[in-house]
Amino acid sequence: MRPDDRKYTKSHEWVKIDGATALIGITDFAVNELCSGNEGDLVYCDLPEPGRDLEISETFGEIESVKSVSDLDSPLAGSVVETNALIEEHLEILCKDPWDKGWLIRIKYTSKDMDDLMDASEYEEMISQEQH
Amino acid sequence: MTDCWRLLQHFDAEPGFNMAVDEQLLLGGSSMPTLRFYTWKPDALSLGYFQRWVDVPAAEEASIVVRRLTGGGAIHHARELTFSLTAPLDHPLYRGPVRESYERVHRAIAMVLADYGARASLRGEQVVTSDVPETGMCFHKSTDLDLIWDAGKGLGSAQRRTAGRVLHHGSLKLGTTELETGIASLESHAPELEPEELARALQAAFPELLGMKLERGELAPSELDRAQSRSNHFRSSTFLHRR
Repeated sequence: MRPDDRKYTKSHEWVKIDGATALIGITDFAVNELCSGNEGDLVYCDLPEPGRDLEISETFGEIESVKSVSDLDSPLAGSVVETNALIEEHLEILCKDPWDKGWLIRIKYTSKDMDDLMDASEYEEMISQEQH
Repeated sequence: MTDCWRLLQHFDAEPGFNMAVDEQLLLGGSSMPTLRFYTWKPDALSLGYFQRWVDVPAAEEASIVVRRLTGGGAIHHARELTFSLTAPLDHPLYRGPVRESYERVHRAIAMVLADYGARASLRGEQVVTSDVPETGMCFHKSTDLDLIWDAGKGLGSAQRRTAGRVLHHGSLKLGTTELETGIASLESHAPELEPEELARALQAAFPELLGMKLERGELAPSELDRAQSRSNHFRSSTFLHRR
């Protein structure tokens, strides 16, 4: 069971409310799609500068694995206040702990309306269908 | 699985236009899977999406440089057949891990190359002689998923996944150039082979090997208009030096 303290997008990002800000990352499913468990397959992650304003679903960054570049899309609107400085140098963190140490950005959200996002059980239902 | 793919061909096309067409196939709004074969006139070097210009010495020697939307290393687009596959991410060919999609496509191409006498296979743990450090060139850096023959990498490939779709680029080498020495090509197996003939062989084999029905088509007028207006972007200093 994936963490139920956060919401999920169809494009495999998660968002976790933390007071007036929210942490955003990608799920274990997304990481595995990119690298199939091979930590070394993740080669680069481009994250935004603090201060950048994001709309819902706007691409805030890109992640490169050995054979693919994928977009990172924001589940909420808001302003980037912090990026995870560890990630760009230690992408293997995403394989080991995508839920806590592997967060990507922290945003000050303008609304925490997450009606269009999925909870953990809905997300698991979606990926179970993707795998068939 | 048998589904319908649009087949496009743009031989001897301008380098920026080639990249702009693939951008439209990825982001232009069409939901139809598309297989596109193309070649470049004049020859050009393409940088991977994240590559820094300074990390690719050959960029200083190439007469024309573009940047791709796909990742990976730089490619000298000369003496090759280039292809792109563009499809929804939930298409059976691309559903699931990235690695598995490469395996499906590369195994199909290996079957076609066998007809020319090239014993192509996924590199896996095999040792290749084409890896060269510090060039920044795609063909000088192999992974276990790459297609190799004659102990060298002969197919360069990369994907971009965005907005629910995937763009899969591939470059199949018919010969080598001074910017990509020591790599595998079909030159020793089929010295007279032209890109158009290889494209015909692939399009004849893919329906059975990949379960696709191909229908020859054209770019929609809106796709063509946008591709033409975006061609210069992929050769612009701003985009080339984005990193």
